[in-house]
Amino acid sequence: MFRSISKSTLQHIPIEINGKKVNVPEGITVWSSMALSGETTTRLSPVTKQQRSAYCAMGVCFECLVQIDGQPNQQACLTLVRKGMKIQKQVILENTDLVENGDHIVEGGTHDK
Amino acid sequence: MINSYDIAIIGAGPAGMSAAITASEAGAKVIVLDDKKFAGGQIYRNVCNSPIEQVNALGPDYLKGRSLVERFGQCSAEKISSASVWHVSNSGEVLFSKEQSTTKLTAREIIVSCGAMERPFPISGWHLPGVMSAGSAQVMLKSDGVVQDDAVFVGTGPLLYLIVAQYLRLGVRVKALVDTTPKTNYLDSFSSLPGALNEYPTLIKGLGLLKEIQKSGIPVYKYAQDLAITGETSANGVKFQSGKQSYNLSCDHIFLHQGVIPNLNMTRSLSLDHHWSEQQLCWTPTLDSWGQSSATNISVAGDCSGIIGAEGAEHMGRLVALNQLSKLGIIATDIRDTQALTSQHRLLRFNRLRRFIDRLYRPKEDHRIPTQDTTVVCRCEEVDLATLRQEFERGAQGPNELKMMSRCGMGPCQGRQCGHTVSELLALWRGEAVKEVGYYRLRSPMRLLNLTEFSDFSHIEPTRATDTSQVQIQEVTR
Repeated sequence: MFRSISKSTLQHIPIEINGKKVNVPEGITVWSSMALSGETTTRLSPVTKQQRSAYCAMGVCFECLVQIDGQPNQQACLTLVRKGMKIQKQVILENTDLVENGDHIVEGGTHDK
Repeated sequence: MINSYDIAIIGAGPAGMSAAITASEAGAKVIVLDDKKFAGGQIYRNVCNSPIEQVNALGPDYLKGRSLVERFGQCSAEKISSASVWHVSNSGEVLFSKEQSTTKLTAREIIVSCGAMERPFPISGWHLPGVMSAGSAQVMLKSDGVVQDDAVFVGTGPLLYLIVAQYLRLGVRVKALVDTTPKTNYLDSFSSLPGALNEYPTLIKGLGLLKEIQKSGIPVYKYAQDLAITGETSANGVKFQSGKQSYNLSCDHIFLHQGVIPNLNMTRSLSLDHHWSEQQLCWTPTLDSWGQSSATNISVAGDCSGIIGAEGAEHMGRLVALNQLSKLGIIATDIRDTQALTSQHRLLRFNRLRRFIDRLYRPKEDHRIPTQDTTVVCRCEEVDLATLRQEFERGAQGPNELKMMSRCGMGPCQGRQCGHTVSELLALWRGEAVKEVGYYRLRSPMRLLNLTEFSDFSHIEPTRATDTSQVQIQEVTR
């Protein structure tokens, strides 16, 4: 398990990860907030559909692509959390054929939200 | 913000910060673009804004970055943080994205100082959730105060020992250190030791870290080989051979590390000349002793010019800035030469130390060039070794052909995680030197960009092929 050793004086802010409401220290990255919340799957591999998670945490592996407030392909390790942010693991597969408004991904003809 | 500058610096690590201080103090109009919230680069990440209470546990080499970050903050260069540069042209055009909006600027001289990244570690199972790089442990600790208990650290190199020591000082439980430095490296590096002795405080600090780890009582497995991460859908352990024994440590989290390599996507996208460094086993931009590249208005400083470490980067940033100031006519050549002396002297000594470190922590061949058919080489497109070999045998002899036929290197990381592996693999299969094989042809945008933002530009200056007759490059050997 990941845990925080941050100063106890840090403000916490509410965000949502995969529909789960959590409070995380202000100013940390989206990836760290996912790690602290036990939601470590960032995306499904477009090829094998297997679960993937962050590898480098510094913006060079692109394993941590997530959907933030409806916008897909955001690097969780380079994005800082904001109050009320909605983060979702990214499911864009090779046969995903439509993205409407950024948050309805149609895969193989069925809505997969 | 005005849009025309004497010098644009990309990356605010030690090299970029030091270049900005030197150039702005001499009166040049300077802008610095950095993709993080706070300046400092990976090494001095959040050094003035640490989220953790016991920041001293991170060690003096980290804390000494404070004065550089502070001097940078006070210098008159314009600083743009959280800015992601996605296009640079050798005509002097720079495009960067901040808060989903792109700004264009031009500069007469450009300094690329975007640092290093960890060398990929393509062993069986390295793509599984639960496996991260040791650098990621440091990043999470420094910027967010996030740690992971009971992880196994695997690999070789000073950064690996540093993060283990930092974890132990902070009371984070470490399950084991699996050290892959081969026994032969100790002997092979011995001849470079005398050259490194001038920098003995650094050597002593390195030995101190290893002693600290050994004294802590955590299991340390030396000369480890035949590594594999086990697990079906996520990592559940690491297998290896140490001495005559086989081990299978069960663990949910593994941190891998085998040194760092230059972060080359920008210099490659700029079509600068590069060469293969046998000493550092990586591609390196070809530069003269002032960091001047094969494009007249572009220089490269710090670890993305070849690995030189934080202090070396600071000195090189200064040298590059002095040279550009003289090219711009802001200082005379003899002033440049006099002011450069101390940094040149220090760099020479760092390079000798570097030769020793590079030899001692030279990563094992089978940790750079995968041997198992099922090992994933390209993480983005999930291309394994067997697929690459098959496409090679069908005629894909070069990195670009291999990319087209297998999709290896075609994903969002733009080859950052597979490029070096592919160069070395093809060299092995072709029976030629890596320099004959080459690297992927890269193009901007260098970062992910949404199409709305991209479509704001109807004209973007392309990177033109360098007219090498204009620039005489004398390659510096490190």
